[in-house]
Amino acid sequence: MEKYEKLEKVGEGTYGKVYKAKEISTGQIVALKKTRLEMDEEGVPPTALREISLLQMLSQSLYIVRLLNVEHVDKPPKNATHTPPKPLIYLVFEYLDTDLKKFIDTFRKGVNPRPLPNSLVQSFLFQLCKGVAHCHSHGVLHRDLKPQNLLLDQQKGILKIADLGLGRAFTVPLKSYTHEIVTLWYRAPEVLLGSTTYSTGVDIWSVGCIFAEMVRRQALFPGDSEFQQLLNIFKLLGTPTEQDWPGVSSLRDWHVYPRWERQNLARAVPSLAPEGVDLLSKMLKYNPNERISAKAALDHPYFDSLDKSQY
Amino acid sequence: MEFNLENPLENFHDLPNSQCVSSLFLIESDHIPPLNYFHSLKSNEFDASVRSDFISLISQLSCNFDPFVTYLAINYLDRFLANQGILQPKPWANKLIAVTCFSLAIKMLKTEYSATDVQALLNHSDGGFIFETQTIQRMEALVLGALHWRMRSITPFSFIPYFINLFRLDDITLKVLKDRASEIILKSQKDIKVLEFKPSIVAASSLLYASHELFPFQYPGFLGTISDCSYVNKESVVECYNVIQDIAKEEYESMFNVNSSSGTPVNVLDENFLSLESEKTNGTNVTPTKRRKI
Repeated sequence: MEKYEKLEKVGEGTYGKVYKAKEISTGQIVALKKTRLEMDEEGVPPTALREISLLQMLSQSLYIVRLLNVEHVDKPPKNATHTPPKPLIYLVFEYLDTDLKKFIDTFRKGVNPRPLPNSLVQSFLFQLCKGVAHCHSHGVLHRDLKPQNLLLDQQKGILKIADLGLGRAFTVPLKSYTHEIVTLWYRAPEVLLGSTTYSTGVDIWSVGCIFAEMVRRQALFPGDSEFQQLLNIFKLLGTPTEQDWPGVSSLRDWHVYPRWERQNLARAVPSLAPEGVDLLSKMLKYNPNERISAKAALDHPYFDSLDKSQY
Repeated sequence: MEFNLENPLENFHDLPNSQCVSSLFLIESDHIPPLNYFHSLKSNEFDASVRSDFISLISQLSCNFDPFVTYLAINYLDRFLANQGILQPKPWANKLIAVTCFSLAIKMLKTEYSATDVQALLNHSDGGFIFETQTIQRMEALVLGALHWRMRSITPFSFIPYFINLFRLDDITLKVLKDRASEIILKSQKDIKVLEFKPSIVAASSLLYASHELFPFQYPGFLGTISDCSYVNKESVVECYNVIQDIAKEEYESMFNVNSSSGTPVNVLDENFLSLESEKTNGTNVTPTKRRKI
């Protein structure tokens, strides 16, 4: 690890701390991400090996943050115990200096509050769908998509998905490694209702929430508990019935909820063109099997006015 | 996080979708040693002999495991040697490299094992070297670094499901063809001549060769299908086919020699002769390996 100079802590990834650092030999700025993966007597554990190599394969996409390197670091012994330190695995990623959350904030707060240009929303959403389609075509779910996990190269206008949750060996975390509360705002209703068989639809739901947030400059469903989160969703989209979503009332955490009527989705995103509202409504379908796939979303009429050749 | 050689991308579905397939073709070259490795092995007998020593070491270690373990370990080995260069061999260092490639392959393929087993295996083999765990760990880090952690190797096996689906066969024919093609791929890996070709080309050629052996009447149709596939270069397939044909012939000849010189039961030989007989009567021009048990 003496190859890198840590500059500052830039965040708490879902699975551990992230530092901005400089590779000393090249001067390149990188993001160092500590993982919980420990080396054992038999070297790199098989799970870590399979997961990191999958991450490495996924990061070939322009819309996924690139994994540059993997480093083993001897953990400094904490106190006077004499057990030899177990080396930890650090992942070295390309560094991008802003994320979609910070970016949206500059349009919402700041000296000159204004909406995000429509063309930018369209471009970011397209790139997000590209990245998600790439993950899904490799059989990988992200499961924690949120604006903080979407890094931006502002000069080039490129959006990249970060913090891929190293796969299914980890469950959807309620609390992160550092006990920071993991946000529920982008979580699909089937996950909130305790479904154990969720699939690619969970990411599409999050993409829908992020889409709406870029348009609104504030979260679509800001809940502070799983219950509140569900109520927020139900108040806008109506309380789901067996008709909308067969099997919903047999999900593990289903209760009897007040019956809200579905509101007009367009009113939640007033500045969005009708094609955009249509795409959003297809991403926010209750029945996960009816939700549009990332790949199909790329061909939705909302993107007709986008010059796709540059992506 | 499963990994198997036929499905390096961990799809949800058995059938590779179009996007998945194109990404396989796009990145396959990242998973093979660069061409100059092939050239140096071809022009330098010493390097070639070092490689075959390594391969025997790995084969020795992995003989009781799934043949995919051996295949994957040799894939790692080739990519590692291409990256590091082949040096004056030191027996202990060679063994360490072989052990590391083997244990990485085993970990990736989720085979039940433990490092202590590997050690035991080593000690049994020729009472040679005992490595400290830390030494193996360090070598592991070196190999992983040299391979850029691209451990989900894209091999010819990754392309077999795609090509074989193009043929539209019934399940039994499909399995027979696939098994023989896999056998050819496993066999040909040891021959340096195959290193010149991309995994997809090796897969296409092996399938074609297997189909020529097993279903000669359908072969022209299969050849047409492969030639129409936009992902593959036709000339490379032809070149690779010829290489694979030579390897398969050698295989047959050596098998034949072993049979005649060893105490093989007579009926096995009979079967070989019988198959030759029947081909003559059928008037088809098929190589005798057709009747090999698969």
